[in-house]
Amino acid sequence: MRTFLGGAGALLAGFVLALSALLPSIATAQSVEDIISRGKLVVAIDTTTPPYGFLDANLKPTGFDIEVANKMGEALGVPVEFVTVTSPGRIPALLTKQVDAVISIFSITPARAIQIDYSIPYAGQSAVVIAPKSTGIKGVADLVGKKVGLTRGTGEDGLLTKAAETNPGIEILRFDDYSSLLQAMVSGQIDAMGGGDYGEIYLKKAQNGDAFEQKYVLKTFYFGIGVAKGNDNLRQWINTWLFTMKTDGTLDALSMKYRNQPLPVLPVF
Amino acid sequence: MQTALQFGPILVHLDLLLRGLEKTIQLAALSILFGTAIGILGAVGRSFGPRFLSWAVAAYVELIRNTPLLIQLYFVFFSLPLFGFKLSSNMAAVVALSIHLGAYATEILRAGIEAIPEGQIEAAKSLGLSRYRIIRHVVLVPAARAVYPSLSAQFILQIMGTSIVGAIAAEELTAVANNLVMQTFRSFEVYIIIAIIYFVLVQAASLLFAGLGKLMFRWKV
Repeated sequence: MRTFLGGAGALLAGFVLALSALLPSIATAQSVEDIISRGKLVVAIDTTTPPYGFLDANLKPTGFDIEVANKMGEALGVPVEFVTVTSPGRIPALLTKQVDAVISIFSITPARAIQIDYSIPYAGQSAVVIAPKSTGIKGVADLVGKKVGLTRGTGEDGLLTKAAETNPGIEILRFDDYSSLLQAMVSGQIDAMGGGDYGEIYLKKAQNGDAFEQKYVLKTFYFGIGVAKGNDNLRQWINTWLFTMKTDGTLDALSMKYRNQPLPVLPVF
Repeated sequence: MQTALQFGPILVHLDLLLRGLEKTIQLAALSILFGTAIGILGAVGRSFGPRFLSWAVAAYVELIRNTPLLIQLYFVFFSLPLFGFKLSSNMAAVVALSIHLGAYATEILRAGIEAIPEGQIEAAKSLGLSRYRIIRHVVLVPAARAVYPSLSAQFILQIMGTSIVGAIAAEELTAVANNLVMQTFRSFEVYIIIAIIYFVLVQAASLLFAGLGKLMFRWKV
């Protein structure tokens, strides 16, 4: 019996060893010095969130967030290693110390800040109302009697549905995807649409895309760089570095490149 | 993963689902009505019309039967406005669904018409019946009687076909269900509930079509 157990134990130990060899290397670096002495910065990104993170024609990650990560590596003097995560995988990547930082449209919320720490915001994006230039819309009251399109289940859906409840007469049309929504806007099936503030980039590609403009902001979300809870050494360096990136105009230039407009005012904490 | 089904958060929104059901019934009923009318005209035109009409109907049937319903919906809703025809979501859905069913109904009725033996028409001619009365009483009614089971099966498919018109923002049962999924994140429960609603609806429709068939196509002796 004992020999059987011993054999099983040895087998198990061997199995665990083999398994651990298969697991990705763990980014155990804690401080800025650790990252520099290890010689690489490990960053979690998402490549399904254009224009912030996506794959270019050569299937290489690119976008606003990816360039921010590369600039962070440059400032530290180390190459950047990317780990691709999905949006629900961002917090676990930090909790399990697989990455040093998350740079992936990581909206700053108090609920998330219980588990991880955020840098000051480096970017912001607004849910906005977009409509033809010829339509006079300044606020929610002007939407009464109009058809407003949005994508089912998005942040805009929640915000505009609530607005329609308090302002009867707003007709909400929900589409299954963003391309249908843009199509409805371009073909005039809706009078206005709710979407991200980068929506104009996509509308401009349409036949009469220049006829549309952003009317007003529903809500602004601010993106921070996520680090492991309590990693103040790294977080403080990131905040300082972001301060220089903001003041020398680098972040605004990146925003113009990928979002076709400057960043909103970024409050700090 | 452990899953506990919770229907409570969905059932409080039952009124929304019922409003969706109402729209589904409306879309199905209107499109079956118009689609059948298109089918009757199409089948008669294809079999008895002048050659150009016969070809035009054949082209329509082929065009519709060889393209997906979803694309037809997109075309009516998103593309027609570029030519100046702007239809609301519900109108566009009824138009696309009617045109869709019309093509299938044309083909089903034509099959019935072609199955009418030549001798039956010759007998009617020798009795001195007018062309209109021959087409109506000697050809169309017996043809419709023969293909009525296939036709009502197509009607059932039509009812279920309404479930994709949420793509052009018509708020029928499935679209309402998808809204609820996004609000409650209880997809399993929502889809179970609407599956039951669809089942009951289709069963009721089947009974209705069977009853209507008995009423319309009694053998008169």
